[in-house]
Amino acid sequence: MRTEETPLPAPAPAIGRRGFLAGALTAAGIGLAGCGGGIATVGESRTVLRQWNLFTGGDGVRMVEMHDAYQREHPQIDFRPTTYLWGNPFYTKFAMGAAGGRAFDVATLHLSRLRGMGPGTLIDPIPVELLAEYGVTPDTVLPNVWDKCTVDGELYAIPLDTHLVVTYYNREICARAGVLDPQGRLIETDGVEEFLDLLAAVKDVTGGYGVVMDTTGAWRQFWSLYRQLGGEMTFDGDVGIDDDKALQALDFLRRVSEEGLAPSASDAPGTPANFVNGICGLMFAGNWEIATAQAAGMDFGMRPFPGLYGDELGQGDSHALVLPHRRTRDDAAVRAAVEYAAWMLKHSITWAGGGHVPAYLPVTESAEYARLEPQADYRDAAVNVQFDPEAWFSGSAAQLQNEASSLFAGVHNGSTTPERALDAFKRATRKLIETPAPV
Amino acid sequence: MSAPTATLRPSRGATEGSRPRPRITAGGAMVTVSALVLAVVWLIPLVWAVLTSLKPEGETTAVPIRWLPLEPTLEAYRLVLARGDLQRWLVNSTVISTVVTVLTLMVCVLAAYAFSKTRFPGRRALFALFLAGILVPPQVLIVPLFDEMTFLGLVDTYWGVALPQVVAPVMVFILKRFFDAIPRDYEEAARLDGAGHPRILWSVVLPMSGPILAAVAIFTFVQSWNNFLWPFIAATDPALMTVPVGLGSVQGAYGIQYAQNMAAAVLGALPLLVVFLLFQRQVVRGVTDAGLK
Amino acid sequence: MTPSTDIAPPEAARAVSPAPPGGRARTRHVSSWAGLWFVLPFTVLFAVFLVWPMLAGLWTSFTDRSLGRAGSSFVGLANWSEMLGDPAVWQSLWVTLLFTLISTPPLVLIALGMALLTHRVSRLGWFLRFSFFAPFLLPVAVVTLIWTWLYQPGFGMVNGALQAVGLPEVNWLTDKDTVLVAIAITTVWWTVGFNFLLYLAALQGIPAYVYEAAALDGVNPWQRFRHITLPLLHRTTALIVTLQLVASLKLFDQAYLMTAGAGGPDYAARPIIGYIFDSGFTGLRIGYASAISYLLFAVIVVVSLVQFRLFSGKGKSA
Repeated sequence: MRTEETPLPAPAPAIGRRGFLAGALTAAGIGLAGCGGGIATVGESRTVLRQWNLFTGGDGVRMVEMHDAYQREHPQIDFRPTTYLWGNPFYTKFAMGAAGGRAFDVATLHLSRLRGMGPGTLIDPIPVELLAEYGVTPDTVLPNVWDKCTVDGELYAIPLDTHLVVTYYNREICARAGVLDPQGRLIETDGVEEFLDLLAAVKDVTGGYGVVMDTTGAWRQFWSLYRQLGGEMTFDGDVGIDDDKALQALDFLRRVSEEGLAPSASDAPGTPANFVNGICGLMFAGNWEIATAQAAGMDFGMRPFPGLYGDELGQGDSHALVLPHRRTRDDAAVRAAVEYAAWMLKHSITWAGGGHVPAYLPVTESAEYARLEPQADYRDAAVNVQFDPEAWFSGSAAQLQNEASSLFAGVHNGSTTPERALDAFKRATRKLIETPAPV
Repeated sequence: MSAPTATLRPSRGATEGSRPRPRITAGGAMVTVSALVLAVVWLIPLVWAVLTSLKPEGETTAVPIRWLPLEPTLEAYRLVLARGDLQRWLVNSTVISTVVTVLTLMVCVLAAYAFSKTRFPGRRALFALFLAGILVPPQVLIVPLFDEMTFLGLVDTYWGVALPQVVAPVMVFILKRFFDAIPRDYEEAARLDGAGHPRILWSVVLPMSGPILAAVAIFTFVQSWNNFLWPFIAATDPALMTVPVGLGSVQGAYGIQYAQNMAAAVLGALPLLVVFLLFQRQVVRGVTDAGLK
Repeated sequence: MTPSTDIAPPEAARAVSPAPPGGRARTRHVSSWAGLWFVLPFTVLFAVFLVWPMLAGLWTSFTDRSLGRAGSSFVGLANWSEMLGDPAVWQSLWVTLLFTLISTPPLVLIALGMALLTHRVSRLGWFLRFSFFAPFLLPVAVVTLIWTWLYQPGFGMVNGALQAVGLPEVNWLTDKDTVLVAIAITTVWWTVGFNFLLYLAALQGIPAYVYEAAALDGVNPWQRFRHITLPLLHRTTALIVTLQLVASLKLFDQAYLMTAGAGGPDYAARPIIGYIFDSGFTGLRIGYASAISYLLFAVIVVVSLVQFRLFSGKGKSA
């Protein structure tokens, strides 16, 4: 590149080669000498705590903020966080590192993935007494979430938050459409027709659409609506799914696109962009998109996912902290990890800034949280968060979601019908069921 | 040491002097110009990476594209180095590549010597087995090898990353061929002086094998430095990662920062490029001679 | 297979000519155990890190071994029959093959072009060698960082260049029709330098008198290239093509990194090793992934043997 900076690359003399080899040999000696101790064990009194997470973007920034505070309060801990790419790259590293049993001390995990990630094999149980010592007990966490952390009577995860799909609304547009109540909140609707009328009113104002949702992540919409209808999904030998309810849920996705009330295609980064630039007045999206809307400086509000077929249920998950399996027992590291997890829960008011609902009740019940706007407006939705059905292939970024999302995207964009999409989904699911379970 | 007379004696040397002198002709000029154009095109990605790394983050995504940074800054380099990861990965790459190179040279030279200069029971069978080993690409072993490593407790250790890379039967083969061609008279003379195999290897064979040892060493070092798949599997702890693995898997918590990415890429590319500029001829020979497996 | 190393030990020529070792019984090499000590270190490593995983992998392919569960049980041929009926296996094998088909021709032709140009240039030879070969020395993650950035829609340089000449933007890495092409282009840029060096060495090995004789006969440069240079490069070309075939079968690194581990839209850029990785480490199914590894191994052995036959049949000179 910058050739003027380097010495003349003229024919190197034979000495150069020998010098190179001699240098290499010397370096090897040093390297071998250094190998014995290994770099991981630092011979100081500070306890090393290695945390792995999958957060970039807004969540990443907030986690760094919390970690900075944690490190300041814990000078005796040598805290080393590492971020891997969200989804499979993270979970692959997690599985391999835990199988090796010496790479990390604590990690984030989607609670929906707990059962598929080998609790008891790749994930060690949480010492509950130790956790209680640091102030986290079953009565400090929502029961529906705590249940998900337990496998065969053992606690395997410490929940940091609940996150779920909610409704965002652009106040300025909604005010002009006349769909705000006197307090400036989106009016509550009852049933599909009322909600579609609301969307139509919003569409008249925007001239574009009423609502936007991530059509490449259609599982979230589908599972929210299917659960509102009371649908269940089981995988015992065959797919247990209520066809009528599933079709009803899918038909809503078809209808909003067909009637021009929602874009028929909008991907994950495009969805908040469409909301921010005002081509629609509402957005169905995960509560973590709050940062995008805030960064845009728009006047917006949030409320639970609308109850189109019943209660206002929304699909969601929980970020939890888990202890990876370790090859050799290390009580000091486990204590540090549990203490860290409890600290994160207690300070999750910072985490709430990113839209996630803290799982630790003392935080969500605090006055400080109540003042968080618009987070406090959908706090109750967390109570009714709809976790994905339980199977080793189910959960965030797992195969069932991926299959469903790619198939149901076709319902959004009209390339397939709800009936055909459901058939294809059942076929794909059967294949997953037939695959021998790895856990 | 007995000064090895083995300089790089290129077999093409004989022809070098008498190759037709390039005359300055229209055709020759055209060849030169097209060669230069192609070379420049080939360098564009690298140049663009360097230029991007010198921009403030805000300038990197400017549309339309502007080549030179408006306000050149080393900020991206400062931020990358402040994280500390890359320095550790450079150290790891150096340690691991050096260990792999030295161990490969040691075990392969010993084995090649045995096959070339000694007779022992089972020699032919063993050599055939090693030859067959050349057919087994390391890529097909990743899954069982990882499984074995978990069993041995070598996942996330330096040895776990380095040792499987030392098994390079092709190097035994290359070295044996070279040793085979060393005239017997030399070892006979040494033997008459009462030298045993270790002495013969050390004082007779090795001093005559400078070029091939250099070729094997350079090739092994380059290959190990740039090896991705196995270190990617064997090291999940960032403290043990090599440059390619670390750059390829650890994310910045702030999302994608292009100037920093390019700064990290430039720093990660630098060591071998510098070595190449300094020892261009040796690297070229090492790679072409030992790389033909 | 046989490396055509042109490094010769001093006086090798003298030594090679008389009596091949096998011909005359050489009594000096009495069979002894000494040699065993010399091969021992390599043999141990070979046994532990090659033979063991080979055999263990074969056994594992008949079990339901998983990263997520302790212990495993024998399942017979279940993994093998599942594999043969798994469309993802065949799709990923096809991706590998397709990559080979689209990357090999440019990797050969561009390398040849570079070598011919460089061979004739005397002054700036080191600069040409540097710029053509330097990318080969870059770690793969550096290559993919740079090229992912170049391919970026909106503000990436490749699309910037396309738009500058009035062409539409291409979503290189997110369109299932272009992702593999994009990876192939990157691979050509990255690795063509190696083939270039092989061609260059071959060109420089052509004795000058061949050309001088041709010059006397008054042939023009094209004829000289067509009827002298190209035939003399035949062996090198065959070598490069076969090296390239085997290298392409091992595609993984750049495809994994440029698709962020996802294999591209509709897995359009997930090669067979990518599927082995996904099944074994993402899907935790070590047993199943071992079976697929053996399928790939079989393919590679067949390709290697075929090329070996072709080689040993053609150039006996080796």
